[in-house]
Amino acid sequence: MPGGGVLSGSLGSSGSGRYRHAEHVMGTVVSFDVPARAREPRGPAGQIGGPLGEAVRWLHWVDATFSPYRDDSDVSRFGRGALPLADCAPELAEVLEGCAVISARSGGYFTTMPGGTFDPSGYVKGWAIERAAAIFTAAGSAEHSVNGGGDVQFVGDRLWRVGIADPLRPGRLALVVAGRDFAVATSGVAERGAHIIDPYTGQPPVGLASITVVGATLAETDAFATAAFAMGSAARDWVESLDGYEAFAITAAGAIWQTSGFGAYLG
Amino acid sequence: MRRVILAVTGTIAGLVALLSFKSHVPSVPVAATTGGSGGSSSSSSSSSSSGGQTTTVPGEFPQGSLAGQLPAGETAVDGKAADTAYGPVQIQLIERNTKIVKVAVLVQPANTLHDIQIGAFAFPKLISETLAAQNAKIDAVSGASYTSAGYIASLQSALDQSA
Amino acid sequence: MPVRPKNRPTRVGARGLLAAIITGGLVVIALWWHGSPGVHGLGGWLTGAGEILGLLCGYGVVVLVALMARLPPLERGLGTDRLARWHAMGGRYVVSLVVAHGLLIVWGYAVTAHTSVVSESATLLTQYPDVLMATVAGVLLLGVGIVSMRAARRRVRYETWYFLHLYTYLAIALAFSHQLAVGASFVGNLAARFWWSAMYVTVLVLVLWYRVAVPLRSYRRHRFEVLGVKAEAPGVISVYIGGTRLDELDAEPGQFFRWRFLTRSLWWSSHPFSLSAAPGSDVLRITVKNLGDHSQALARLQPGTRVFAEGPYGAFTPADSDRGVLLLAGGVGITPLRAIFAALPGQVTLIYRASSERDIVFRDELDAIAAARGGCVHYLVGSRDEIGGDPLSPRVLRSLVPDLDEQDAYVCGPAGMTSAAVRALRDAGVPRQRIHFESFEF
Repeated sequence: MPGGGVLSGSLGSSGSGRYRHAEHVMGTVVSFDVPARAREPRGPAGQIGGPLGEAVRWLHWVDATFSPYRDDSDVSRFGRGALPLADCAPELAEVLEGCAVISARSGGYFTTMPGGTFDPSGYVKGWAIERAAAIFTAAGSAEHSVNGGGDVQFVGDRLWRVGIADPLRPGRLALVVAGRDFAVATSGVAERGAHIIDPYTGQPPVGLASITVVGATLAETDAFATAAFAMGSAARDWVESLDGYEAFAITAAGAIWQTSGFGAYLG
Repeated sequence: MRRVILAVTGTIAGLVALLSFKSHVPSVPVAATTGGSGGSSSSSSSSSSSGGQTTTVPGEFPQGSLAGQLPAGETAVDGKAADTAYGPVQIQLIERNTKIVKVAVLVQPANTLHDIQIGAFAFPKLISETLAAQNAKIDAVSGASYTSAGYIASLQSALDQSA
Repeated sequence: MPVRPKNRPTRVGARGLLAAIITGGLVVIALWWHGSPGVHGLGGWLTGAGEILGLLCGYGVVVLVALMARLPPLERGLGTDRLARWHAMGGRYVVSLVVAHGLLIVWGYAVTAHTSVVSESATLLTQYPDVLMATVAGVLLLGVGIVSMRAARRRVRYETWYFLHLYTYLAIALAFSHQLAVGASFVGNLAARFWWSAMYVTVLVLVLWYRVAVPLRSYRRHRFEVLGVKAEAPGVISVYIGGTRLDELDAEPGQFFRWRFLTRSLWWSSHPFSLSAAPGSDVLRITVKNLGDHSQALARLQPGTRVFAEGPYGAFTPADSDRGVLLLAGGVGITPLRAIFAALPGQVTLIYRASSERDIVFRDELDAIAAARGGCVHYLVGSRDEIGGDPLSPRVLRSLVPDLDEQDAYVCGPAGMTSAAVRALRDAGVPRQRIHFESFEF
């Protein structure tokens, strides 16, 4: 319904003409905050059309193609060696290239082979969200955000405010980050189960409870956040060395640190 | 000494017997409720990639849909069930005049007592802090923990639906 | 002086108490069973085991406190010495369970969360409500357990051990809150939380009543005070305690009281001593062997010193029976038996075993009682070397008491002598249920 919806004011979106949509895909919920016109034109059966429909279809396609949990996805078949790269979707090559860059820049802490099986999910999710946001940009939207289960791409020259969940106190916000035209990604220990493994020790990393990285685009930002978390305490120096990325971390003991340029993002 | 051996072996045998009987019990059957006034035309209910089972679990926090008992001026909006590693999480927002006044948990993972424990003391805090976070006028929440992720996603979707 | 016949008040026997304790344990396990949705994986097994043991610990400490709460039905039915033994055995078991519970929970949680045991410990201590207090409680209990081990007890002064043991109350209080706050079986189960709390409150009330209120009330009613101290033999003294309305106490020969003498050095603990004479209407007599600081202090008691006396306690009270009775005393065990010897009607034989002539107490009294009531006293004096064997052998016993196998036997003395005597009686043909003994270990 029109963006003068009952909650838009309380969440600080910039007035009328906005639409929020939640799509269940890729094992999480992706939330869209887009101009209301992004839904149009509607499809013949009344489904969501326009750039929003396109973005939703894009995400489902990524899910089908890149999910390591589906045996028939390109990623699974490629990983088994059942499908040569040339026969896979061309986007897989693009993803592999992106992963290689991240892996090199992170000294191997970001890896597409966690635990021995091929799984580029650490890069794919952020990349898919970034591409989804790009769909709206191409359609002429000046202000929108796409949030993939906690990793967000913001587009628009207005101040976006993001609350960072406190990993040690469920439900509390550790701080609020604000920025324009940027991406925010957080990696950390789940309350149950650590999905990130330090590739050098084979164990979940120790040292950090969570780390939040901000940058311009979500694919790299998300992947850097994953790599930084796997590094543990060594992440600080590493992110400092990266141009255009800043980080804020909460250690397992509850202490906090941030890179020198992070102050610009404090909300 | 004989008594010691008897006590130790008896205790271990008792534990093993109790636990092995309980390990044959199938997980609690699903009883996810999706009531409330916040229906959406989007896709159907969650596909859980972990195969975890869920149930509404009695607890100290508001649990189960409050939709039927709301005073005038308040509406209930259900978030979609959002996936976490151990099962879906689904919350319901109660709103009055654009403010969130209450949050209820409809579905949470309950495979083991530990899950219930986490929920029992994590959710009241999660809920009270949602109400506080609203005052921070944020556009989104970024986080990594599983309950938070599911919760945040569900919270986000509830807000998304009612917008 | 014949034993006054009276109605037997409630007494709970050993089997009944054991059955009750076990039933309670089963109810606790059923609570876990009811609340557990299923156990899966190594983490689930470890956590489940930890939860069960945790519940049993929470129940176990309540049982341990109840055993020592001076509940009259238990004191009458089992006897103080047996209650103390059960408490010691149960205490060792519960402390072990506490340690096992802690380790299993940390390990189980760590496995389920795929984190290290160290980081899971940190999480548990900092994030879960009241776990830090419970950990302190566990450490306290473990410390008390270590200090109570026989090896340590010998090296530690009784006073020190006594005060350390009081810390168990603190530990129980500290651990209580985490049981309800984190205990998986209590989450969302209001009825369980209610009954669990009720169990704790009940035992607390019982302890306050029987260990605090009753002695105070008894003092107000009877106004016990020391009348005088008399030396009976080297190292053996009798203390005469007077008071008002002592016949209302209904003390029987063979029973004991817990005495708390209100002097600067003695007020903080109470000690059990048997009545060594039948209770008079205004005088009670106890006889004490000089064994340590406490008994030495008794010798210096001044007349007029106020006393708190709790009791009477003790299951060592012969019932009237047609059969003859054999009383076997060793060392200071003569104390309750002398009172019984004087009071029990019918055919009674007293055998008094002592290592030397000097250790015989009440000789004149005993001879006089034997003459007056027509009983027999045998003094078995001398070390084993002098006698040429164990004087308490079945052969000797049968020669002194020809129809021994048809009599009831009451044995009282130091632990070693008591167990040897019981064995000898069994070998001499006395059935187990007709042998009654009380040994002073505490």
